[in-house]
Formats: sequence, C-alpha cells, structure tokens
Amino acid sequence: MFDRRLITKFDWKFLLIIFSILLISTLSLYSVSVHKGQVKGIFYIKQIYWIVIALTVFFAAMVIDYHTIARYAYLIYGVVVFLLILVMLIGKSGLGAQRWLSIGFISFQPSEFSKLGILLVLARYFSENARGDGFRMSQLIFPLILLGIPFLLVLKQPDLGTGLSITFVFIAMLFLVGFHSRSLIFVGLISLLLAPFAWSFFWHHLKPYQRERLMTFIHPTSDPSGTGYHIIQSKIAIGSGGVLGKGLMGGTQSQLKFLPEGHTDFIFSVFAEEWGFIGIFVLLVLFGLLLLWGVDVAFKAKDSLGTFLAAGIVGMIGFNVIVNISMTLGMVPVVGVPLPLMSYGGTAMVTTMAALGLLMNVKIRRFMLFY
Amino acid sequence: MTPARTERKKTGCPYFSRIGVIVAFFFLGLGLLTFRLVYLQLFITQNLSKIAVRQHQKTIVIQGERGRILDRNGRILAANLEVPSLYAVPPMIKTPGSVAEELSLIVNEPRPLILEKLKGDKSFVWIKRKITPEVSTAIENLGVEGVGMMMGPERFYPKKHLMGHILGFVGSENQGLEGIEKQYDGVLQGKKASVTLERDARGEDIFPKDLNYHFPKKGEDLYVTIDEVIQYISEKELDAMMKESGAESGAVIVIEPGTGDILAWVVRPDFNPNSISAYSPSDWRNRGITDVYEPGSTFKIVTAAAALEEKTVFPSDVIYCENGSFAIDGKTIHDHTREGMLTFSQVIQKSSNIGTAKVALRLGEDKLRHYIQAFGFGSKTGIDLNGEMSGIVNASRHLPKRTLASISIGQGIAVTPLQMAAAFSVIANGGVFVKPRVVRGVLDEKGGVSRGESEKPRRVISERTAREVTRILQTVVHPGGTGEKAALSGYIVAGKTGTAQTVDSETHTYSADQYIGSFGGFVPADDPRLVILVVINHPKGVSWGGSVAAPVFRNIAGQTLNYLGIPPFDTKRMLVVQREP
Repeated sequence: MFDRRLITKFDWKFLLIIFSILLISTLSLYSVSVHKGQVKGIFYIKQIYWIVIALTVFFAAMVIDYHTIARYAYLIYGVVVFLLILVMLIGKSGLGAQRWLSIGFISFQPSEFSKLGILLVLARYFSENARGDGFRMSQLIFPLILLGIPFLLVLKQPDLGTGLSITFVFIAMLFLVGFHSRSLIFVGLISLLLAPFAWSFFWHHLKPYQRERLMTFIHPTSDPSGTGYHIIQSKIAIGSGGVLGKGLMGGTQSQLKFLPEGHTDFIFSVFAEEWGFIGIFVLLVLFGLLLLWGVDVAFKAKDSLGTFLAAGIVGMIGFNVIVNISMTLGMVPVVGVPLPLMSYGGTAMVTTMAALGLLMNVKIRRFMLFY
Repeated sequence: MTPARTERKKTGCPYFSRIGVIVAFFFLGLGLLTFRLVYLQLFITQNLSKIAVRQHQKTIVIQGERGRILDRNGRILAANLEVPSLYAVPPMIKTPGSVAEELSLIVNEPRPLILEKLKGDKSFVWIKRKITPEVSTAIENLGVEGVGMMMGPERFYPKKHLMGHILGFVGSENQGLEGIEKQYDGVLQGKKASVTLERDARGEDIFPKDLNYHFPKKGEDLYVTIDEVIQYISEKELDAMMKESGAESGAVIVIEPGTGDILAWVVRPDFNPNSISAYSPSDWRNRGITDVYEPGSTFKIVTAAAALEEKTVFPSDVIYCENGSFAIDGKTIHDHTREGMLTFSQVIQKSSNIGTAKVALRLGEDKLRHYIQAFGFGSKTGIDLNGEMSGIVNASRHLPKRTLASISIGQGIAVTPLQMAAAFSVIANGGVFVKPRVVRGVLDEKGGVSRGESEKPRRVISERTAREVTRILQTVVHPGGTGEKAALSGYIVAGKTGTAQTVDSETHTYSADQYIGSFGGFVPADDPRLVILVVINHPKGVSWGGSVAAPVFRNIAGQTLNYLGIPPFDTKRMLVVQREP
C-alpha cells in the first residue's frame, strides 16, 4: 500500500547527503581505477551498478513499514544465520578468508547481511522487553545467544571487523535500554576474572595474519614490508596530501599502487591524499550530518522499536566510520572494517543503504498513528 | 546505570540522555580523528611527502657520450664504439675452477687472476672490458651460467699506436687517465643528465615524470693540432732510424712556428691505447715532456743567440779554438776535431765546444742565465698536456767558470725535448717565444673550430739576432758543417746537431759509450714552416747527432714539405741544374 505521505515526509536533505558521499566514493574509485589515462580497473563502474541496486533496496526498506519488517525479524535473522553456515560450508575464499557466496554470477558476503539481521532482532527484542530498571542477567541470555551465533560464525570466516560491528550494535542498544546495576557489577567482575583466559583463548584462535596485524599496530615499523606496510603507506598517503591535496588522480601513492587495498578498506587514504585536509573536512562534516540526522530520527521516533532501530543503525554506521578512519590513520589495528558508502563492495553498499532506508522509514512514520 | 523507561512519553524520547552519551562518544571519536589528521596533514606533511617522493621517484644519472678527438683536418683519432664487455656474477657460478680455466683460454688472461675474481665476494665483476667479436662468440658458445656480456660505449682509437702518447687513454668508466683524454677530460666528457622516473609499487619504471626529458649532452669534439699524415711520416722515419741504429728510445717533435701548434709528436717506446694493459706503465710516459736529457751542442743556439743579441760577439769575429783542447779552472774541454782560428759562425757550424765556451765566458753568467730562462729552460712551456717537467737549470749564483762553460755547450743542464723544440721555434719565429699547444679547439655549433685563447708571444731576442742565428744555422747543413746530412735539396735548412753523453745511472758519471744524438732545426729557413727536433737515445755504433738524427730530420722535412705543398726554394734553377748534366 503506497502512502502519499511517503513523498511529502521524505527528507530530501538526507538523500542529498547520501548522494554527496556516494559521489565522493565514485570519484575516488575512478581515481584508483584509472592511471595516466589507462583504465586499470573497473571498480567505479561496478560500484555504480551496486549503487543503483542499493538505491532500490533503500526505497524498499523505506516503503515497507518498519513494524512489518520487524515482524519478520526472526525470519530474516534465521536466513542470515543459514547463509553464514552456508558460507562456512561452500563459501568462496579470498584474501585468506572464506566470506563469499556465489549465486550465479553474483558474489556476496552474508556477513554484511548479518549486521541487518542482528539490528532487527535486537531492536525487536529490546523494544518488546524493555523495563524500567534495566535488563537483568537472565534476560540477557537470549539476546547474547542472538548475537553469539552470527558473531562466532563471522569470526570463523574470519571477519573480525563485522564481528566487532555487530557487537557494537548490541552494546549500543543495551546501553540504550539500560542494564540492571547489580547485574552490571556482577558481569563486570566475572569478565574481569575471565579476561585473561578469554584473551589467551581469543589470541590463540586468531589467524596468524590477525595476530600480525595487532602486533604491527603496536610496532608498525617493525615489519615495514609486511603487515605494517598497510599502516605506513596509509599514513604516508594521507600525510603527503597536506591541506589541499594532490588533486583528483594526482595521488602518487594510491595511483602507483603503493597504497594497498586503496579501493576497499583504505579508500579514505586515497581520498585524503587527493583532496587533502579540506576534502576530509567536507567528508567528515557529511558523515557528521548523516549521524546527527540519524540521532534526530532516534529521538523523534514514534515508538521504542523505531528508536532502537535508528540508534542501532546510527551506532553501526558511526562505529564503522570511526574505526575505519582510525585504522587508516594508524590509531587502531587494521581489523577490516569498510568505510560505509565509500568502500568498494556491493554487499556492504546494499546493507548500508538498506539500513539508511530503515532510518528514513522510521523518520517518515513518526507522525503516522497506525499501521 | 539509570533505569530506563518502557513507556513512551509524548513529551520526548525516554532515551534522550543515553542517546546523547552515544552521540558524545561519536563526536569525541571524530574529534580525535581530526586531531590526528591535523597532525598528519598539517604538521608532519612535509616529512611524509618526502617519504612519498622517495618511494615513487627514482632519479637516474645518464652520462652523455664522450666527445671524439680529431686531428687538425678532422680525421678521427678517438671515437666510441658499442662494444661488449665480459662480466661474471660469481654467486651464480657453481664451479669457479673450471669456468676460470675455460675463460682464461678464451680471453687469454691468466687463470689465477680470473679465479680470484670469480671467488671474490662481489656479486658482479668485469672479467674483461672491450672484447673482440671472436671472443664474444666463443663465450656465447661456451654458455656458462653466470657469465655474460654487456654492450657499452668504449673508447676506441682507430689509429692504434699512432700518437698514443698525445691521445692518452681512458679508464674503465671512460674517464681520462693520460694525455689529452686526461687534460681535456672536462671538455670531452659528456654532460650528465638526470632523469626522474616515476615508478609504481612493483618497482616498474613508468615514465619520466614531467616529460621534459633531455638527452644528456654529448661531450665536445676536440681538434688536436697534430696532422695525422705528418705524425705518420715522423713515426715511420724515427722507427726506421731506430731500427737501423739499434737505439733504445727516441722522440720527434714537429712544431708549426708562429702558432706553436704541435704537428707531430712521436715518442718511442710507444703503446697502443686500445690495450694499455699489455704495456709497461713506463711505455705510457710521454717522454717528450716528462723526461729530461742533456741537450749537448743543440743548446749552443741559446749561447749564440745570447752573445749575438748582447753584441758580445759578431758572426765574423775570429776565435782561437786552441787546437781541440782547452783547460778552464783545471777542467779540460775538448773538441771533436782540432780547430785553430774560426769565425764565430764557423764555431757553431763545426760545433766547437772551446769556441762556444770562450764566448760564453765573455758573455758572463748573468746574461747567459737570463737568456737560458728567456728561451724557456728551467720552467714549463705551458703546453696543454699533463705531466710536464721543468727541466734542471743550475740555480746557484757565481758559478765556477768551468760550470758556466759546460752549460754553454749543453752539459750540466737538463731539458725536455719539448723545451728544446720550443727554443728552436724562438729562432724560427724571429725571436719570440710562442707557447706550444696540442689542441686547436672544439667543434662549435657552426661547424667551425672555436679557438682557445692564446697567450701573447713573448720576445726573447731581436728579429735581427734571430736572422743572424738562422744564417749561422744554415751553414751547419752545408758541406763542412756537422749537420750535412740534414740538407734537403730545394729547401734551405737551418739546424744544429747535438751529441751528449748520458749519465750512467749506476756510476753517476758520464757513460763512455751511451750517447744521445739529436738534431733540431727548421725549414724553409727564410720562411719557416716546420720546426723539427729529433732525439735518439743510445744508438749503437755511430752515435753522432749528425749521423743518426740529421737524416731523420731531412726525411721528415722532405716528405712533410711535399705533403703540405710547399714549393722548393728555386724551382727554375733546380730545373736548369737537372738539364745540365
């Protein structure tokens, strides 16, 4: 059922912000793809295709009432978990991780979808069970299981970045819904006691390359040609951009492939090298506006489901933005978190746009009384 | 943690403060990022930019091609060839012993020498530079791993031995080491050009960065004053006489009077600059300027010129020559033939030591010393070749008379062949000293030869005196003179013979049987075109300058004048003479 209010309440400014970021992304991807007039990659064309698909998903996620979507939350969650198990069994490998599923000629990463699944089930669960004095331990068991299944599955791939992203969504929502103070102390103490064991378990279950990444974050110059290379090259690219940048397609470090993964996790470095501090400032303002807009949606949502959904989405996108940029600046270890709307990658683009569509969904329906 | 409300209030969001905390966290995060960005992009951007430039730019220096050396008529004396050189990569060679064995057979170098190179810890060694096509083929057929050939510009001297001492040679990096190659290294050397290449992370050179790539400038082509043909004539004639007389070494210098241009410069023993390692370094020495000898009687031209200039004596003055034996301060001077009364002119013609010494004593130490220096002895001529010696002139004051007498006849003084040749040039030039030179200049843009700056000629004696000395020197080649064998039909020759004993290096006394025979002179005497000095060391048997050096002078002069197209003195009379048998 199409509602006329979908158009009258539609926030065009929001869409303008999204398009601005997508334009920046496409320009940077174009720059990475083309060198000295020669096209050496087709990332930007593929990205445009994905943007078109993602826009469709965006409107779909907006048009269908979020309450209706929430009704199918567990089903969606189930499908996501099923896909994650499928990845484990028949997934394609790439860059040392088994993350992709192929259907026909399309490959996608179910781990990205797991973000949406977690978002929906947690928002629904927390909104239905929210209580005045916060959640108790016993009430947390179920949401922890909801988080734990996909968390372990994506960690197994391994995809530490997505694992951390969904964990952050959980923590943000939990923080929002409140947590019983005695339970918090209890959990805190238990965690403190278990921390050393957990750490050693965690450390031993990390893949060698993940351990290396963590080590090289602490001492990036210890292995400049190996895993520290990403961080060093990224800092050189960003720093040499200076205030004004080297201009579109003028970035030497990214153009000459000194910067690895320039189209995915390190797209920010490409942009920073070519557009300088001024360009970054504009980009950060755009992301800031996007997040503030999302926060506003969360505040003004009609009900707690809307608030939780909006907060979860803002938390997820905000987390990815800050962790990704910190990563490129050498402030946190390289954990493989893409920059939302910027990094090349179809599944991530679709997921992010779906999330933003949900955000718009919540916003548009804040004055609608019934569904 | 504060309890949350489940019920939604119409007045506002129940999670307002908590959302605010999350927002605060985000903006704290963004703030930290901004600080970091300011640090990277504003504070240390210069350092990081430098690192970036170092990573993706590579500057390589290309040396321009070395200039050629051409003779005064543009004939090529030194050029460059793309020649293979044999190298080895020792770590790739598994059996150095057998490889060294095989290589030594092919390149004809001692096996231990090659083995030493192959066993060293270097990762790249030259086995032999500039190999021949035959050797190159043999190496290719050998097909040993770790041995290869690389093409490179190598200096090549197409005329081989010809004037090797003047040209000199270059080192393995084409840097001038001797001769003109060294003296004019800065001119010959190609200009360096640096090219900045951009490279990508795989190290592949992409392209010169700004596209303003200039080819390195080629070195200048250098024209020498030497005429290849005259050089050839001189070498041929000296070699013939050396062979005939069994001499150890020798030199010929031919100068164009007036300009000081060296037309030929022969030094024996010689070497082939294409393969210098095959010769002893002493053969590389340019004895025309690096070695000194006692000039003997040729030096009498200086004494004669001084005495005539100072009017101490006139050509027709009669001098008693003491019948061949004359004691000064207890030292006896001898003449080779007993002479009685001779005019001063005859003293020189017959090369009387006694007569010359007597005039010198009359002239006095100070005046003689003045002219010795004025003629350029005791100091470098300033020729544009490296390694020139000043010679040895006794510098102490108030010399004993016998020492003065010795010096006046060319004993107890050491000169370079070039100094002696330059002294003859002074007479030929009408009394002025012109600095000799071997390089005419460089090829300029218009295709001409840009001349280097020349020093102002320095007057040594008056033109009149020079003419008088010339007239006397003409008589030397007349019948009865010591230099009869230098006479050339059709041309008036002026010259002087010299025969000097050499000091034995073991006994430090004059050797009884080792002589240096020399002849210096110029032709045609009335309008000199060539000054030629011939020095022959230690000829066996007949060793008089008049017998060994004078014929060389005559032969060189005759062929050269013919080559230069200088007509004989009086063609008509020559023809008449020929018609009247």
